[in-house]
Amino acid sequence: MAETYDFLFKFLVIGSAGTGKSCLLHQFIENKFKQDSNHTIGVEFGSRVVNVGGKTVKLQIWDTAGQERFRSVTRSYYRGAAGALLVYDITSRETYNSLAAWLTDARTLASPNIVVILCGNKKDLDPEREVTFLEASRFAQENELMFLETSALTGENVEEAFLKCARTILNKIDSGELDPERMGSGIQYGDASLRQLRQPRSAQAVAPQPCGC
Amino acid sequence: MRRAERSPAPPACGLRVDPYGFERPEDFDYAAYDEFLSAYLAVLTRRALKWSRLLQGDSGLRRTATVKRYIRKGVPLEHRARVWLAVSGAQAQMEQNPGYYQRLLRGERNPELEEAIRTDLSRTFPDNVRFRKMAQPCLQKALSDVLLAYGLHNPGVGYCQGMNFIAGYLILITKSEEESFWLLDALIGRILPDYYGPAMLGLKTDQEVLAELVRVKLPAVAALLDGHGVLWTLVVSRWFICLFVDILPVEISVLQTVLRIWDCLFNEGSKIIFRVALTLIKQHEAFILEATGVPDICDKFRQITRGSFVVECHTFMQKIFSHPGSLSMTTITRLRESCRAALLAQR
Ligand SMILES: Nc1nc2c(ncn2[C@@H]2O[C@H](COP(=O)(O)OP(=O)(O)O)[C@@H](O)[C@H]2O)c(=O)[nH]1
Ligand SMILES: [Mg+2]
Repeated sequence: MAETYDFLFKFLVIGSAGTGKSCLLHQFIENKFKQDSNHTIGVEFGSRVVNVGGKTVKLQIWDTAGQERFRSVTRSYYRGAAGALLVYDITSRETYNSLAAWLTDARTLASPNIVVILCGNKKDLDPEREVTFLEASRFAQENELMFLETSALTGENVEEAFLKCARTILNKIDSGELDPERMGSGIQYGDASLRQLRQPRSAQAVAPQPCGC
Repeated sequence: MRRAERSPAPPACGLRVDPYGFERPEDFDYAAYDEFLSAYLAVLTRRALKWSRLLQGDSGLRRTATVKRYIRKGVPLEHRARVWLAVSGAQAQMEQNPGYYQRLLRGERNPELEEAIRTDLSRTFPDNVRFRKMAQPCLQKALSDVLLAYGLHNPGVGYCQGMNFIAGYLILITKSEEESFWLLDALIGRILPDYYGPAMLGLKTDQEVLAELVRVKLPAVAALLDGHGVLWTLVVSRWFICLFVDILPVEISVLQTVLRIWDCLFNEGSKIIFRVALTLIKQHEAFILEATGVPDICDKFRQITRGSFVVECHTFMQKIFSHPGSLSMTTITRLRESCRAALLAQR
């Protein structure tokens, strides 16, 4: 494989329909705003290799359909996710009101330790705002989430959101709070770290994983 | 015959939009498909003559073996709406309920339903010029009305993403909101199992049924997916939910793959979806088996819905009836029962 990376993290993008989940993913991967996007049916995904704190990390990002009834179809993909972007639309109180339900899903179905960043998307539509920055940051604080307001349209804070989430996971690995070798951690060693690992302890080399999840 | 069917030729004066509003892909290679196109035009002409004769006779459109054979070979575009309405029973429903569609739209409103539909209006066929906001007339209004009426007519289903593509496609073909409404009702209410209701049990069941069929007919592919822990829903839920619209070529004037599938779907029922799915997988078995990981598998399942195999719709439609081998309704019914029971037990 041409790509080498130290870690692979499985990420989810969740939140109500129309909040801009697919556009955020597209902006992050392609660096452009997807003007005419179809809505997501079921689950789709993309990936990108990023550099965080001197480590290369491959983010494998799963974008899920937002409509309530698809939840029962997409749930199986939550399993073993290390991080999540929880998205609402700052111009729609309704999407904000359903955050708690999405969060419960993420923590029960993915992992209680999942690192979640709350994203108030469509920041560019400030005149139509229905949810203030303050109340959302309070919600984030109460639920131990990181928080950013983003715009998939202008690109503001999109990169930051993904990187911040990745950085937090790396920190937790360093501090021992997260164990990448635990089943369902949503974290895998990449080729680069495998090589490093193999040298000191070649006998117990971690089996090379296909780049799946 | 309509102009639409006679002019597949390389776009005169740089025309990139077909008469139904679909933009042809930038990279669409007319030269490469030239041979297919000219052969298919001959087929279309021959079929058109035969259909005119059939429809003139008074035996008309009863669901006979002849009609079935004719439909499998493709319904000419100018008769398509009429044939779909007749064989699906939508025509009969429409005649028994005059004015019903309009009454639904004048009746009590449902803001939640309206909001769910509105979210998806600009996300339906974004590459079709007639669905764009600036289009005159803009089909978004018709789409919204048909979906709204359907949600009010069948509150148990309401609106589910995916229905927008189906309704939108029906509107393009029938050019009539009311006919689209009744055809949508035929599909959701009678032809398909419960794909769109809140529990989506029919969808989940059929995904499992497909998985079972692949396990029997193409065990290596099933082993690959099972080995990587890939759930079938990841690769095929869009096939079922959208009935191949937005997946296989949808362009109406030339690349009629989806239309040809729908011809059979309206006449023969949901079994056709399995035939199409199995044909796609079987044809590309070796290609799929090259996949080395989950992303790769997903990517391959996307790629197999493109290219000359699916563009050459006439051959494709012949293959769906031979390639997957026998597929009786008894088998499907039995598998549906056992998969459904397993799903219910899991809950
Ligand atoms: N103004 C604005 N519109 C956005 C932004 N992100 C997404 N949209 C629009 O919101 C709609 C829904 O976006 P989409 O990504 O499909 O939402 P999803 O259902 O959460 O995946 C689309 O019409 C997008 O063009 C944003 O940051 N600003
Ligand atoms: Mg989406």
